[in-house]
Amino acid sequence: MEIKLNDPFAVELLKAQTALMQVIDPELYVNIVDLGLVYGVDFTDAAKVKVTMTLSTPGCPMGDAITGGVENALGAAFPDREIEVDIVWEPRWNYHMITDEGKAQMGLE
Amino acid sequence: MADISIGKAPHPITVLPFYGTGAVCFAALAILLFLAAGELTGHHFSPHLLAIVHTAALGWGTMVIFGAAYQLLPVICERDLYSVPLAVASYLMLTLGALLLVWSFWIFEVGAVMITGGVFVVIAALLYTINACVTAARNQRTTPQQAFIVSSALWLLVTVTLGLLLAINLRYTFIPRNHLDLLKLHAHAGLAGWFLQLITGVSTKLVPMFLLGKSKREWLLYTALVLQNVGLVLFLVDGYFNPITAKMLVYGGIVALGTLAWLLYLADAYRNRLRRKVELLMKHAAVSFACLVAGFTLIPIAHYFSDTRWVSLYGTFLFLGWITAIILGKTFKTLPFIVWSSHYRHLNGKVKVPLPKQLYSERLTVYQFYLYVAAFVSLVIGMVMDYTPVIRTALLLWIVLAAVYVVNVAKTIFHKPMITDGDKTQ
Repeated sequence: MEIKLNDPFAVELLKAQTALMQVIDPELYVNIVDLGLVYGVDFTDAAKVKVTMTLSTPGCPMGDAITGGVENALGAAFPDREIEVDIVWEPRWNYHMITDEGKAQMGLE
Repeated sequence: MADISIGKAPHPITVLPFYGTGAVCFAALAILLFLAAGELTGHHFSPHLLAIVHTAALGWGTMVIFGAAYQLLPVICERDLYSVPLAVASYLMLTLGALLLVWSFWIFEVGAVMITGGVFVVIAALLYTINACVTAARNQRTTPQQAFIVSSALWLLVTVTLGLLLAINLRYTFIPRNHLDLLKLHAHAGLAGWFLQLITGVSTKLVPMFLLGKSKREWLLYTALVLQNVGLVLFLVDGYFNPITAKMLVYGGIVALGTLAWLLYLADAYRNRLRRKVELLMKHAAVSFACLVAGFTLIPIAHYFSDTRWVSLYGTFLFLGWITAIILGKTFKTLPFIVWSSHYRHLNGKVKVPLPKQLYSERLTVYQFYLYVAAFVSLVIGMVMDYTPVIRTALLLWIVLAAVYVVNVAKTIFHKPMITDGDKTQ
């Protein structure tokens, strides 16, 4: 999840990123931001926060726990906005999307 | 939010009873083995050994595999499980059926109880097969793993139907073939059809997932699927119409090549893994595969040497080695997720919740691994020496191992929800 400082919603995006880092993939024990599952967060609709994200695998039994976690975390950070989670399968997630921080947390090289 | 393919953890009732009952059956298996310690190297067609094999195959192996399959079918087929009621009904049928069968074999009462047990097991297998096949059919994209799930379910149905016919045949003889030869067909339909193909399919999804590894050699899986099935079909057809002779070893060789293709795929995923450190629970899988290879090498020995202990050793390597090792390892890689999901999925992102791996005792899994290796190796030594005191001592270790496993499974299943809100733990 990349945030540009000149983005008009940079403050909101930083706040969203901090909130989303509280959501853990219970299978991999790493937050979904460092896993690279979050593809984008959109604040252009003033009444909504729209998250575009993926899951590590379609049919992942932890899928509803993760999407529910996103709604919980963002709902607490932005109580006056509706939370919309859009799950996409393209691009398909792979291990190379994990950040260096995520790899360190997982004990990967 | 997209409404397809977002995995929901299956209802705990489709998984937990299987693991709980499977653990109890594992303990019962260890006790039955101890009670029959002096008979373990004798002929396999004896009341106590038949009871023990069915406790291992149905109460332990199939019971846990049903639970794991209901949990993993959504992962493999990328669709939610077709039916929860069918899964619950299959649990009741399998539990009742296994109980009746094991009891009637132990006291060797041929007739209504044994046949009723067999009918219940066939119904359980039918319900499972419907659930597995419909769940797989809902995904338009067919993967080799799905093909293994479907083929193994169909082989389970063939195995238990043949078993039921054999139970009827014991009371009302109607099959114009030697009962012991048919028993070999029944046993191998179960081993090479149900267990081998199910474990092949599930492991090629799970092992790369746990190791963060991958293999691009999917052709190895299709090769495994074809060879495992061709070898088994040839064995069953030829074995039904002709006496079981040395040429059957060729069919065993074809299945062995299919097994090799599967293991090569896993080895490739292992080589291309991101997670360099292999957890202890994954080492169970390595022991399991080594036991399977040993089992294959025992086939010609058991065929050419009339000493019954080689057949017993063959069964030991497969049931107590290959199948038991993989279940012991995979239990704590799968069961905690269902329990975690039922307690904590609504709290994720809200408060700090424990991780799935904190729901069981990691220390007990360490004891479990070393106890298992000690119990298995000492049992094999005792059986090769055909020396009952060593066998009995080994089986005491099996009882301790089963107790450790039962305690850890119970700790996971009966986990009390615990959340941390700031400094407060509730």
